[in-house]
Amino acid sequence: MSPNDTRRERLYRKTAQKVQAEETQILDWLRARDDYRPELDYFLAQLADRSVRAVERRSGRKVVRLLCNQAPLELFLAAGLQPLRIASGSFNEASFSVHNWPALTCPLIKGILTGLILDPNLLTGPWVIPSSCDWVVKFWEMRLEVSPLDMTANDKELMFLELPHFKNRPKSRNRWLEEVLELKKFLESLTGRKIRRPELLQAVSTVNRAWQAILALKDLRRQGRISSVYFSAVMGAFFLGDLDTWSNQVTALCQKLWPAENPAPGIFLAGSPIFFPNFKLPVLIEEAGLRIAADDLCSSERVFPSGQVLEDTSEFGLTAALAGRYHQGCLCPTFGDNERRVNNILSQTEESNFQGVVFTVLKGCHPYDLESVTIEKTLKKHGLRYLRLETDYSAEDRPNLLTRLEAFASSLKGVRGVS
Amino acid sequence: MSVRSLRLAVQYVSFLILMYGGRIGIRLGSALPCFACPFVPGCGGYCYLMGLQGYIGFGLAAGGAAGQQILEALFWFLVFVALTSLLGKVWCGWICPFGLIQDWLSWLRNTLGVRERYISPDWKNLIGSVKYIFLFCIVILPPLITANILPPDFYLPFCSICPGKLILPLFAGETQYLALNLDNAVTFWFSLSLIAVTGSTLTGVFFKDRLFCLFCPLLALIHVLRPLTALKLVKEPTFCSGCGNCRRACQMDVAEIDQNAPQVQTIECVDCLRCLEACPSSGALSLRFFGFKLFSSQRFSTRALRVKP
Repeated sequence: MSPNDTRRERLYRKTAQKVQAEETQILDWLRARDDYRPELDYFLAQLADRSVRAVERRSGRKVVRLLCNQAPLELFLAAGLQPLRIASGSFNEASFSVHNWPALTCPLIKGILTGLILDPNLLTGPWVIPSSCDWVVKFWEMRLEVSPLDMTANDKELMFLELPHFKNRPKSRNRWLEEVLELKKFLESLTGRKIRRPELLQAVSTVNRAWQAILALKDLRRQGRISSVYFSAVMGAFFLGDLDTWSNQVTALCQKLWPAENPAPGIFLAGSPIFFPNFKLPVLIEEAGLRIAADDLCSSERVFPSGQVLEDTSEFGLTAALAGRYHQGCLCPTFGDNERRVNNILSQTEESNFQGVVFTVLKGCHPYDLESVTIEKTLKKHGLRYLRLETDYSAEDRPNLLTRLEAFASSLKGVRGVS
Repeated sequence: MSVRSLRLAVQYVSFLILMYGGRIGIRLGSALPCFACPFVPGCGGYCYLMGLQGYIGFGLAAGGAAGQQILEALFWFLVFVALTSLLGKVWCGWICPFGLIQDWLSWLRNTLGVRERYISPDWKNLIGSVKYIFLFCIVILPPLITANILPPDFYLPFCSICPGKLILPLFAGETQYLALNLDNAVTFWFSLSLIAVTGSTLTGVFFKDRLFCLFCPLLALIHVLRPLTALKLVKEPTFCSGCGNCRRACQMDVAEIDQNAPQVQTIECVDCLRCLEACPSSGALSLRFFGFKLFSSQRFSTRALRVKP
């Protein structure tokens, strides 16, 4: 240790090592599973290095940091930029800044804030921050506490995307369209070139190909042919490189001959997002003798809202359609008129005959917490079994969660169609 | 076969039959609930609006003196009701030749990359009320001719300014309606109005999908018979995720389509089924014939994914 090292720097280095070890442990475990396939290598390699530089190298594009996937990805791609969703599922990152913030601070935000300390490259560069949940809104203010870097010079590289929280009001839709048009200008200012119709169409086509690949992957999981842990890993690599390559890799993965269907009862997983390396819940669900057949997590199946319907293919028409889809098509609980979020769960459960819904709430994730009450009522009214789990990134509650999941699995055995 | 391809096929076959069917002996009568223009030489059938204007004016208004005409008017009215009851607004979205011409203009706009214009709900309501004025004139003016209050040049008042009268005959080589009719002041103003209305309609339709359907009195007439219609577009709100794809796909910008309510067939809806095809929620939208499901929205529809960069 050099004599110049301060105590704080040593602490940072030690935390970074712990985070690295935590991630390596999960990656090794994923590779050691019986159902591991070499086609997963690509995704695991991307998860192993999620730094901005690595993503820029792999995609060949300048990275724009995105705090929430509310912003239309197509605009980034059309501008020749790489959107990178900044997230953290690391227990070590989340627990590092535990003393700085209130007890019930979102672990995801705590993890990201630690990430800013551990990797200064993460902060310096363009950011797009959609004002989805309160934590995301307060993030930029909170980061001053951990990294009081003078960002005055970089103000041109920061955009707050103000999200109207009522989807069904025409005024909200117009305001959101204005925001998206503003985002388009912002991205153009980063590259110095205009986003035109051909680039937009190309980007829409790229994202639609990704959607097609996701549909095939979803099918595979519904049939119980791919573990949800791998599904989460694949979706976790969505933002980490060139999207076309990702889609090709997913397609190749789906074409691989997977083992026979897993006979475990399929459940629907709803609630707060799950980010690498925090695969605690998918692992526990499998250990309890269940399998996740579908989900509505914004880190997974809801990484972007479905393929794009295009009728008006003019430059404005494309932008307006993108804005509409990312606003109305978003099922984030931060919306004030989100009563139809439950419809998605109901229609999927009916279509695929799932008998139970596990609702996960990340401690401190208040919008999901609040919404779980109304969702529980509606699901039970439709005769579905429901289990709400509140957890964080720590491993302490594993036995407790496992017991509850096992009991839930037993309760499903009495349900028609589940053996 | 996708709904879109099927619709396109039906539109072209209908166009050929309604525009040229008469040349091979096809006569579909005088009560078709679509713009099958009688001014097209050798057409396969007549739009009911023409029949309505004619029978009201010279049949019903003539009273007992024209019993035969009354019976004939009643017969064609019943045929119109039967046809409308059977297919509803499929006549507008799938069969109407003028609808196909409007779709061509939308295609041209898209190909040129020109943006579609948005009409605010207030303006849409205002524009929509024009079709009732047309309908009122269709019912009121012909009896006034019979009663000698208006000159006979007012015969078929709606047809005299209908853009279909100018555009559709062109496909049969008939160009006389392009010229001004200088017989007298009434015919001059009617022919001038026809050219002006046609020009505005074509311009408007180029910038807004199916703009003319907002004005169409036939759409209003068909909508009145909606309770009798066997073909219904049904929404199951429980399955709707509210993504708004349906509304973005809708040619008529029907506001109700993405709301959390079962009633989606408003007066503007032309049953084109673009909404159904764009919907990613299985079973949220379905087209039913006497309750039997003909088409239904599907989760894994690849319709949305067909984008050519």
